Amino acid sequence: MTTPLLETRGVWQRFGGLIANSDVSISVGAGEIVGLIGPNGAGKSTLFNLIAGVLPPTQGSIWFNGEDVTRMPAAERCQRGIARTFQVVKSFETMTVIDNVIVGALVRTTVMRDARRKAQEVLEFCGLGARANVLASQLIPSEKRRLEVARALATEPKLLLLDECLTGLTPLEAQSGVALVRKVRETGVTVLMVEHVMEIVMPLVDRAIVLNLGKVLVEGKPTDVVRHPEVISAYLGDRHAISA
Amino acid sequence: MTAATIIQSLASGLLMGLLYGLIAVGLALIFGLMDVTNFAHGEFLMLAMYGAFFLFAFFAVDPLLAAPLVAAGMFVFGAVIYLLIVRFAMRAKANIGMVQIFTTFGLAILMRGLAQFFFTPDYRSIPTSWLGGKTVSFGGIFLPVPQLVGALISVAAFGALFFFIKKTDFGRALEATREDAGAVALVGIDKNKVFALGWGLGSALVGLAGAVMASFFYIYPDVGASFALIAYVTVALGGFGSVFGAFAGGIIVGLVEASTALILPPSLKSVGIYAVYLLVVFIRPRGLFGSI
Amino acid sequence: MDTTFAQSRRRDLILAIFLAALAAVVPFFVKDVNIQNIMVLTLMWAALSQSWNILSGYCGQISLGHALYFGLGAYTTTLLFTKFGVLPWFGMVAGGTISALIALGLGYPTFRLRGHYFVIATIVIAEIGLLLFHNWDYAGAALGIDVPVRGDSWAKFQFTRSKLPYYYFALVFCCVAWLVTWKLENSKWGFWWRAVKDNPDAAESLGVVVFNSKMGAAAISAFMTAIGGAFYAQYVSYIDPDSVMTFQFSLLMALPAVLGGIGTLWGPVLGAVILIPLTELTRNYLGGSGRGVDLILYGAVIVLISLARPEGLIGLFSRKPASKGVPQ
Repeated sequence: MTTPLLETRGVWQRFGGLIANSDVSISVGAGEIVGLIGPNGAGKSTLFNLIAGVLPPTQGSIWFNGEDVTRMPAAERCQRGIARTFQVVKSFETMTVIDNVIVGALVRTTVMRDARRKAQEVLEFCGLGARANVLASQLIPSEKRRLEVARALATEPKLLLLDECLTGLTPLEAQSGVALVRKVRETGVTVLMVEHVMEIVMPLVDRAIVLNLGKVLVEGKPTDVVRHPEVISAYLGDRHAISA
Repeated sequence: MTAATIIQSLASGLLMGLLYGLIAVGLALIFGLMDVTNFAHGEFLMLAMYGAFFLFAFFAVDPLLAAPLVAAGMFVFGAVIYLLIVRFAMRAKANIGMVQIFTTFGLAILMRGLAQFFFTPDYRSIPTSWLGGKTVSFGGIFLPVPQLVGALISVAAFGALFFFIKKTDFGRALEATREDAGAVALVGIDKNKVFALGWGLGSALVGLAGAVMASFFYIYPDVGASFALIAYVTVALGGFGSVFGAFAGGIIVGLVEASTALILPPSLKSVGIYAVYLLVVFIRPRGLFGSI
Repeated sequence: MDTTFAQSRRRDLILAIFLAALAAVVPFFVKDVNIQNIMVLTLMWAALSQSWNILSGYCGQISLGHALYFGLGAYTTTLLFTKFGVLPWFGMVAGGTISALIALGLGYPTFRLRGHYFVIATIVIAEIGLLLFHNWDYAGAALGIDVPVRGDSWAKFQFTRSKLPYYYFALVFCCVAWLVTWKLENSKWGFWWRAVKDNPDAAESLGVVVFNSKMGAAAISAFMTAIGGAFYAQYVSYIDPDSVMTFQFSLLMALPAVLGGIGTLWGPVLGAVILIPLTELTRNYLGGSGRGVDLILYGAVIVLISLARPEGLIGLFSRKPASKGVPQ
């Protein structure tokens, strides 16, 4: 078996007395779309932040592309090829849409002309080409989500981390969001997406990892995972019935 | 340096510190309520001092008696400033932090100019008052009566403020608004009204401090500037927005100032305060009791 | 897209060259010494505000303690000249370097602070500097230092007979400050700074090393501010702590940028052109009475502009695409 692109080995995260992640070991292979799902408080966001480099884990290690990145700051991980979006969008509000994306592009080049060209390409790719010169603060919410993705893609990541990027969109918007994620994968980028609502992600992902109470509950093909009794009870306990 | 000198200066420092707390608490209250730092806070103090002075000069009202009147006047003044100016500064969508800093800075300069124009730049003082010039002695430590009474008023004001925030409807509305202004709007509390009253209350407290200080301090248009920085440091030291932090911060500032004056030449006494501020925030970037 | 952007950059440059050329010929028509003095000060404050704008406007780290760097520039030049005979030109560079190093040293602990805690830290640090200089006997303490007159020369940067050499130096200083900003605005640093200002967490996730960005901005900003301080010391030929290091100076560096448009290329220049003549004229014609009319006017203007034009006066000139109007 080839080494996976991303691997967490026995990761623990404690906040005071609270254990957010206990002994989580997951792996993501190159080219996959993996969904990280689970009910509220399952520890998804914590794990996501550990991988993105917001904080180091209490225990355990995180490996990316054969390198130990456990204590590497977020900015350096981005240079290595990990990019992320934020659940609560964090656009650079006083900058134009294209300038937002240029910030990302500058990780790979310092030539402004190249960065600008790259940013324009990514914007076209994400369907925001026509909005390039608008201030980010003027975008509607679904466009801001796209901008998050565009900014991350401009860093030319190997692994794209999506934090609930489809939650809260209208069905139509979510559909085009799904299409965008597929398109991203076709360009060879590996995707790890955290989602709370299963229906959205299940048709999209190759593999699903279900977290519950800070632990990996099940992982496998989405069709198998949704039928798993423990998953159903975990979700039912959270009063989120699955329609699948 | 004898033990008596040290105790003497620390005691004076404590009294002054309680007053610093009273000067600063209005700033902390307003910040906690709406994230706005009033950079004209020193000028509010100046205005209150003039208020006490003119009540004395024209109506022979002793500053001690004038204190509630000045506080009431400052309450109205603060609320009006909020409604006329600050409210609009908070509407700005672009760089709101900047807008409110410079709006209140402009207000400070404006107030200083108006004070020079109407009150002249002359130094004033209240020569005779009930408390002025008297000292009391506790076991060999001499304490000036005006500062002592000021400190007691400060303690009483803090006590009343704690009670007020915890036990009255408006106090609870204030607490709720500072926690979540959006949610408060949903339950039908008028945010603007709460903010205006918050500004009134914060200004009334600095008004109280101003009236007390008028009995033992020179009064001139720039007097606020010298206390403003101390007030900001006090508030930041305690943690922005924390009422208890302002109380504790005031005491710390007073004691540090007094002890610095024991060691360094008097002209450097503020260095101690500033150094302690930097030390605290370098270790605890949110101040001693700040949570936000 | 690319071309409209390049066009607007070129337009800025052409406008700047035009204005600089205009400023260069003005003294041939304006012989009044008082007005020349105001012009020198306007250019100097425009450049200083431009320097301040790099750290506070672009990078969003609001400093109200830049008087420290201004004072350090003034003192370094003057002390080196009076005590060691070092020519002001070298003193200027030395002052800039010292200021930049001190800014880096101070940045290390202070850049962890956010919002008001940072602003107050900058004020407090500058106040400590002021108090220390007040008590530093070698540097003249509260009495200050006279710059000895050694005759007019460019080498010693002293001119007693005419203000014009100072004027042209201030003009060059202003142009350089503008050009540095213009260059940085469309560079990796410029983009990093704006990203850090708007959202440091998002910036970090996009590979921006937030701490280094702030340090870079602080060093450049402090260096240029110190050059201004060195110039000012030569210009007034007498310095004491209160005339170069008080809070007033920190405020004066911030105000033109804030009124003109913070974090914009033209904001500091526009702000200075309006504010400095206003300040000087009100002080000359109204301030003499000691009745504070200058302060009243000044304060009222600041309040009104802050409220009416939060994005700065530059908003009046912006030629933004009519997409959805101004962000209000």
